Amino acid sequence: MGVRERILAILVNNKPGVLARVAGVFGRLGYNIESLCVAETISPEISRITSITNADSDFIEKVMKQLGRLVDVIEVAELVPGESAQREMILIGIKLNQKNRQEVVQAVGMFDCTIVSLRNNYCVIQVAGSRGEVETVINYMRPFGIDKIARTGVLALHHEEN
Amino acid sequence: MDTTGADILIKTLKDEEVDTIFGYPGANSLPIHDSMLKSQIRHYLVRHEQAAAHAADGYARATGKVGVCLATSGPGATNLVTGIATAYMDSTPLIVLTGQVTTNLLGSDAFQETDIIGITMPITKHSYLVSDPCDIGSTLKEAFEIARSGRPGPVLVDLPRDIMAAKCNLSDTKDVPSRVKPRSAGTRDDAQLQKIAAYLNRAERPVLLIGGGVKLAKACDDLAGLVEKGNIPFVSTMMGIGSVSASNGYNLGFIGTHGNELANRIVHDSDFILTIGARFSDRSTSIVSEFAPLATIAQIDIDASSIGKVIKADLSLVCDIREALEGLIPLVEKKERKEWMERIKRERAARNQNGAMDECGAAGPFIRDVQAAMPEATTMVTDVGLNQIWALRSWQAKAPRSVITPGGLGTMGFSLPAAMGVQVGAPDRAVVAFSGDGGFFMNIQELVTVTCYQIPIKIVVFNNGHLGMIRQIQDLFYGSRFCDIELGTSKVDLVAIAKGFGLDADRVPVGDAGAGIEKMAASTGPFLLEVIVDPDNYVYPIIPPGKSNIDMISGRQG
Repeated sequence: MGVRERILAILVNNKPGVLARVAGVFGRLGYNIESLCVAETISPEISRITSITNADSDFIEKVMKQLGRLVDVIEVAELVPGESAQREMILIGIKLNQKNRQEVVQAVGMFDCTIVSLRNNYCVIQVAGSRGEVETVINYMRPFGIDKIARTGVLALHHEEN
Repeated sequence: MDTTGADILIKTLKDEEVDTIFGYPGANSLPIHDSMLKSQIRHYLVRHEQAAAHAADGYARATGKVGVCLATSGPGATNLVTGIATAYMDSTPLIVLTGQVTTNLLGSDAFQETDIIGITMPITKHSYLVSDPCDIGSTLKEAFEIARSGRPGPVLVDLPRDIMAAKCNLSDTKDVPSRVKPRSAGTRDDAQLQKIAAYLNRAERPVLLIGGGVKLAKACDDLAGLVEKGNIPFVSTMMGIGSVSASNGYNLGFIGTHGNELANRIVHDSDFILTIGARFSDRSTSIVSEFAPLATIAQIDIDASSIGKVIKADLSLVCDIREALEGLIPLVEKKERKEWMERIKRERAARNQNGAMDECGAAGPFIRDVQAAMPEATTMVTDVGLNQIWALRSWQAKAPRSVITPGGLGTMGFSLPAAMGVQVGAPDRAVVAFSGDGGFFMNIQELVTVTCYQIPIKIVVFNNGHLGMIRQIQDLFYGSRFCDIELGTSKVDLVAIAKGFGLDADRVPVGDAGAGIEKMAASTGPFLLEVIVDPDNYVYPIIPPGKSNIDMISGRQG
């Protein structure tokens, strides 16, 4: 199978240094982590790392096995589009001016986003949805002059209990 | 009762049956040395921390126990790095204890501070920074479990000086539940074993490929049983040498870049290879696409990440090797395989006639003579380079832990300190450390350690004045454009040096070494034998870079 975006869910013991070791496995194989999200799960001693990398199936199998060797890694799974719910949240910072103000506000309404803050004509907009939806909003807003974007990267969970 | 962190450390080491530590002190590890003084643990003071790591590694390889080394913070810890990486690559169970600056100074670029955990992350199985004296016991226990379980490896424990000096009420020590995954992760799958057995029984030209994992699993006897029961010839990787006695009739030698020609050829022509405890390193497979093109490959290993990493295994089983063999052997049938076995017999005889030892030039017969002169219960340690291949080809490995070589990392300077560790761990065995003049000088300071403790190892230094293996490579593959390989060691009096360090020593030419060998074998203390070798004495066959295992280049005449 060819190179495509792969989402890995890695459950780890919530200890210092674990993230560095996990990142090291990717780095050592010469692959880039496109995005990384890490936080506690329902049990505070366990954290979930959701990472995205572009790779083929051979590499993903390799990296999953090598992650599995780490003492503090509890479980590794690839989250495949059809079998998991995938969502992303982004914050977009845009400086409003006479030219773009109306269009930005219209876009926010059209795409069902939220203006989180507005100070000195600088507004921060929250967008949440599927990867495709989020990308659409970014592309739409781009001509208005996006100053900054902060992304969570894709978060994913299996549809079913396992 | 109030005890210090260091006291608890020492107590836990004793609980883990540690009686030997190789180390070198410094300000930040003094509390540990202080507590160790009151204990029964014997501390061997080396003269460079790299040697402490190699000695602990050699000790572990010789005894099957977990080796322990100790260094201070900063440069003491960084000096261990090569030794830790060596142990990591060959899966040796090691506990690496490092002193560290006091906790309030961490991350401040303090005197003799380094982030040794960060530095060694890719070369340790796991590591810990202890921040509470009451945690030391459970942390260290867990470290030992990790070091020796599954696929073994080095575990580093970083110990800030103030934590070592701090008091802990023994009743406060926590018994934290272990994070180590249970050993039976990777269970014996009988259905899979039946498939493997079926292939094996049907195969017309099968071969067993034995890797370092068999020794680590302590499954050598079981493996010998499989060989006998199934009437199956076997080859080893470099790390698998000695798992089954070299004199076993089914032994075909070892494969790979510097392997025996017969072993490489047989693997190439086989139709079924059962790989046990080997990870298909690039040194054994050369060109993956041309490795064993006719064979179905089955792989059994305790480490899932080694399966399918290099070679796609058609059948695989993640399992402890001993458990797997226990289940497999009853299913294996003894097949005659007349044609295959006759062919092997013929090819072996043909090569013996041509003098397989000639492939090592004069070094081959010399090494055989050394083995003949030394007691039966001798352990041989190699360094890296020509000396290593000559020794591995010529020495007959009689017992599993009798041949020790740093195959994975290929660390020059390994043999002298590792041999120290081997002798300390196995005092009833004789120990011969082979090395070239290159590797020998890398840890030469350990001759002081050898003298001070009177460690009776026999050090054989092949002196050809050059970095020999590199010279061969430059000669064959770089148009004989020699550069940066003349070590000047032919101008240096190794015998005088050894005697200056307090050892008995002698010098012989490789072709007329009888007297020197006798003197060495008869000596009761440490001995150095300098063996003068022609720089053109290479090793053959050799596989050129980018070529497959059967594109071996044979020796030139003369």
